[in-house]
Amino acid sequence: MFKPREMKHALIIGAKEDVEHTIELLHSLEAVHIIDFKSRELEEHLHIGAPTEKASGVSQSLLKLRSSAQLLAFEREKQTISEKQSEKLIQRDVTLKVQDLELSVHSLVETKTRIEEHFRKIDERIHQLEPFTAMDIPLELYQGYDHVGVFTGYVRDYKKLAESLPKITDEFELFTSNETDQMVALFVSKQYVEDAGKLLGDCGFTEIKLPEGKGLPAQFIEKWTDQQKELSEKLLQTTKDILEFRKRYAEFILASEEYLTIQVQKAEAPVLFGMTEHSFLIDCWIPADDIKKVKETLEEEMQGSLFVEEIEPKHEDEPPTLLKNPRPVRRFEYLLELYSIPNYRDIDPSFILSLIFPLFFGLMIGDIGYGILLILFGVLFMKMFKDSEGFTNIGWYIIIAGVFASIFGLFLFGDMFGLPFLPPPGETGEAVYTWSTLLGIHIPIPSLIHKMESLGMTQLLVISIIAGFLHLSLGLLIGIFVERKHNKKHAITKIGLLFVLTALTLLIFVMADWTIGQWLKPLKDSMVAPLLWNYLIPLVKAGFSFGGLLVPYVSVVFGVLGIVMIIIVTGGFGLVEVLEVTSHLMSYTRLAAICVAKAAMAFAFNMIGLGLILSGNIVIGLLGVILLIFMQLMVFALGALSSGIQAVRLHYVEFFMKFYKGEGIRFNPFRYIRKYTTTE
Amino acid sequence: MAADAGIIAIGAGIAIGSAALATAWAQKTIGAAAVGAAAENEKMFGKGLIYMVLPETIVLFGLVIAFLLWTKM
Repeated sequence: MFKPREMKHALIIGAKEDVEHTIELLHSLEAVHIIDFKSRELEEHLHIGAPTEKASGVSQSLLKLRSSAQLLAFEREKQTISEKQSEKLIQRDVTLKVQDLELSVHSLVETKTRIEEHFRKIDERIHQLEPFTAMDIPLELYQGYDHVGVFTGYVRDYKKLAESLPKITDEFELFTSNETDQMVALFVSKQYVEDAGKLLGDCGFTEIKLPEGKGLPAQFIEKWTDQQKELSEKLLQTTKDILEFRKRYAEFILASEEYLTIQVQKAEAPVLFGMTEHSFLIDCWIPADDIKKVKETLEEEMQGSLFVEEIEPKHEDEPPTLLKNPRPVRRFEYLLELYSIPNYRDIDPSFILSLIFPLFFGLMIGDIGYGILLILFGVLFMKMFKDSEGFTNIGWYIIIAGVFASIFGLFLFGDMFGLPFLPPPGETGEAVYTWSTLLGIHIPIPSLIHKMESLGMTQLLVISIIAGFLHLSLGLLIGIFVERKHNKKHAITKIGLLFVLTALTLLIFVMADWTIGQWLKPLKDSMVAPLLWNYLIPLVKAGFSFGGLLVPYVSVVFGVLGIVMIIIVTGGFGLVEVLEVTSHLMSYTRLAAICVAKAAMAFAFNMIGLGLILSGNIVIGLLGVILLIFMQLMVFALGALSSGIQAVRLHYVEFFMKFYKGEGIRFNPFRYIRKYTTTE
Repeated sequence: MAADAGIIAIGAGIAIGSAALATAWAQKTIGAAAVGAAAENEKMFGKGLIYMVLPETIVLFGLVIAFLLWTKM
């Protein structure tokens, strides 16, 4: 649970003619992480393998299939499959079927494009001719003259044209649809064409070519519109056909795509192998629990013509990481990998993360109302994003955090939606809103800590420091454990830091003495009481006054001891880490800060909302209800977001920095996770 | 005494307010860079988040000082 699965380094060596069979076996075993042969220095006679003969054929089929799917605008996520298809059945005629599919798809899509193209062209023609409908001149009259030149198009300055034309000649006819939209048809005697052209140019003329034909423009447009109608119907039909076709072939596309992908994966596998003239070599990592099975299967199936040799791992090896955790913890591996995949030699902190992350998250929320909302929200989140692994995991974190928040809200803070169940001691029930006064019944859930009281805040700060001390110590202890063999210097520095951390925490305890003292009271009659009150407490409390602060001797001893250790090992350089650990300890006060900030926000909103609701006026009361719901949701959203991020941060920064290296290689066995096909 | 309390309260406000400003200033720059890095390489998300939240400790120092002042009111 605390270490990734043990990996064995192995070499698989066999004769070249067995390579395809071996690949099949390895693929079905799903337990071999192949190391790319390229990444090692090539020895003489050993070169990188080439894909098998099948490779180009299957790749081509896969390419055809994918391009067909693309043309059909096939959306894989939206498709479901009634039952997994047998690989053997697919194998029989997949190449032919893919070819047929490609042909059909191409012809369908081509038909569609042709219709669309035609439609577009007609559209363009209609668009051109439309302005001429207003002039009502049959099209045949625009062309076929020997002595008359014709201009058709737009002019920007019609007025200038109309005024200047008579100055050139009076042998012209000027038509316009109307004077405002500047559409003109100018018929002018051939000998003046050049001058007229120049004038038109000056007036900002844009020519529009007229289609050939006979009849009024309006008639043409009518004819074309009819054609377009016909085309639209055809287009609709073709689109329907394509949809129908896509539906019919959906299962085939999914299953054969998966089948072909697997085939390509197998055919290209030799690229990862080393090859000599007659043999092949696979360099791989196999989980220690599986190596026996792998060895037996390979040797049995290949009748001894294959050798699996375990080799001693070297220090510079980088084995892949495969985490091994019970199911509920496995969800937290995602949160860990979001930071970095653990290194093979790292301690796997998933289990710790699965406990402490929701604990911190819940503590910062610390309210049964928001806790229950969190649980509901988490469930909804998991339902909404059930296809995304990451989001379902996040939903799961939210649910667990909600459970912790509810527990804290019920047993520690006695809060629901920022309102306590009972008033703080010493304040009369009239002055403050509580659930008991609002509902008129006595709800016997006391608040052990009142977030909005001075004492409560101090207690929360002390709790934060204790949480920080425990969390950081755990991190340092793991760090010492990890480094004890490789790097003794680091290990000793971490021991020194642990001393400094203890010194700081004790100092803070003594400063907040009266808060802690209160919590120890229940222990007064227990077995440990004499030990605590006769030895430990006096020992911690013994100290000297420094600037009005009581500095305990134990703190001084621990602190000096730690710093001396660090200086001896690192030569003063490690003192930076002393500062770091100090700021890390302070960093945990965010637990208290967010807890109080959220409570204060809820408190203020409750004052406003409840004030309106209890005002006695129905309209204002209703307004108050709406306002209060909205404001409560805001507190919930802000609180959940910041608590979640801060809880993540306390792990990523403060905790992980003490021991976690990350940057591991994910164990990626040679296999394919089948969704649509089966080997049966 | 009342005047003292007022001065202390203002001091506490300055402590947390200026610390919060400093944090915001630092996060502004880091946040933009982190989002850019994460957009280019998704693996940078975790690291980006860490860099992003690092300056938050500054505001906590402000908070602690403000709190210590507040207990003296």
